[in-house]
Amino acid sequence: MEFLNFVVILVTAFLVLRKPHKERLAFGLLVFSVLLMVFLFSVATRTGLLPGVNY
Amino acid sequence: MRRDALYTILALAVLALSLVPIGIAVFVLGFVYGDSPCVMCWEQRIGMALVALVGLFVLRYGPKPKYIGMGVLVAAWGVFMGLRHTGMHAARDVGQGFSAEILGAHTYTWALLIYLVTVALMGLLLMMTRKEDVEEQPRRLGPLEAFASAVFMVVIAANVVQAFASTGPPPFMGQGDPVRFSFSPKHWVWSAEEWSPAPVSLRGRWSIDKPDTSTPLVDPERGPLANLPVLPVARRIRVGFPLNGTPTDLAYDAATKQFLITTQHGLYLADDTLAAMVRYTIVDAGYSVDLGTFAAAAFLDKGALLAVGENKSFVVVRPSVRADADANFRYFLESAGAFDELSRSRFGTVRARMMYIESAAFDPATASIYTVTVPNNKVKRLVVSRFDRRDMTLSEEFTPTLAPDAGLALSPKRTLDELFVTGSTVADGSLYALSAAYSTLLKIDLASHRVVAAYAVPGLVAPTGLAAVGDELFIVGRGGTVWVVGRK
Repeated sequence: MEFLNFVVILVTAFLVLRKPHKERLAFGLLVFSVLLMVFLFSVATRTGLLPGVNY
Repeated sequence: MRRDALYTILALAVLALSLVPIGIAVFVLGFVYGDSPCVMCWEQRIGMALVALVGLFVLRYGPKPKYIGMGVLVAAWGVFMGLRHTGMHAARDVGQGFSAEILGAHTYTWALLIYLVTVALMGLLLMMTRKEDVEEQPRRLGPLEAFASAVFMVVIAANVVQAFASTGPPPFMGQGDPVRFSFSPKHWVWSAEEWSPAPVSLRGRWSIDKPDTSTPLVDPERGPLANLPVLPVARRIRVGFPLNGTPTDLAYDAATKQFLITTQHGLYLADDTLAAMVRYTIVDAGYSVDLGTFAAAAFLDKGALLAVGENKSFVVVRPSVRADADANFRYFLESAGAFDELSRSRFGTVRARMMYIESAAFDPATASIYTVTVPNNKVKRLVVSRFDRRDMTLSEEFTPTLAPDAGLALSPKRTLDELFVTGSTVADGSLYALSAAYSTLLKIDLASHRVVAAYAVPGLVAPTGLAAVGDELFIVGRGGTVWVVGRK
């Protein structure tokens, strides 16, 4: 899944740099990438979502 | 001029982010040294790439609020990821950590710093931005900006390669303990272990309930040690003076012929009949070290008194006729002129970590303080910890076992870990530990770490403390009753 996210980041950067008129699409991909990162981190830490320290 | 400076700073930030954390991670640590990120490191690295990508958006489209806002959101989530990851290893011993260390800190700790700096930079960018800076059309990139963008693309392309080798195509994802990176497909491990079912929790193994001393199971016959000899209550008395709270422990000092009773935050010295109070104080448990609720009491050397909270934090005080009430204002809520505070700190444990205690005892023969754990919803283990009085530091920990010649046997599938020890005392080289659960008294030989005898003590109601007085044991309960049994 991290592979997918880096591919999306690469495509997004390409759009910004070489197809700047596709700003909305690029921003949509950016939002997707951010949500995917948040989702994957949450999956990986679901057994203890908060930092595992003394509160 | 100001606008050019803004874009130059931003291009340098994108370049620095691409080269230093992300570039070094993939080219140097990954391709050269074979380091593979764990699943959390991957997400932290992706977060940094996204921050740099937001920078590219701003370089191309100007500082629109939605881009700066997105940058702040990603960086804020990055700070959280850094805290979550660093928290797993922050309390380890010096030099210990997970995977690679760079300049004295592990990678996940650097990530936390980088995200914090990013948040600060976003704030700076916002402060420098004016309404006229928002671009109507996409900008043409200057040479430095184009260079930074090209470097970003190369670094991300390299990450695509490493991510494919280390984590694989969807649905495979990063691993908790990844194998080292290799360009050879023979060594690639693609795993879907992170998708396997697991309970969802906010605090995970740290969500531990506070101990409840009103244990409902009191019948010794239903305990892990069946058919125990009975230790009958010889007599019962009541504490003859009012307490600020319920009794949480009891100790006795043969030299001064005084009892010590603790309540939630109180220490009471009483005469040897428990009829009259000699002096008392209420400790300010919220000053400095959080003392929690006192669960244990003991007489130490040279007249010092020990009170230990259920969280293994302790305070040592000494009665004094010359105590300065004003100087002691910070330590005591009441009777600040009757005691001096000597020390206040915390007992650190290893085997007993993540468990509360409800008892403590002092052995003058070895200058040692003993505590016994109580089981909780996460950890069920009976651990005796010994602390050296000289530095109040952990010196020994053990889990007692039954002595072969004691004539004791555990019922099938039962263990001593079920016991809930709320009172303990040391006498003649043995630790007497009273479990409120199943009203069971253990006699543990401190040299062999074996349980050499055990007794059922019927008739107790929520016992919270135990003291040895000559050849008798005094047991105090939450209600203020004291039961006296013979000591064997």
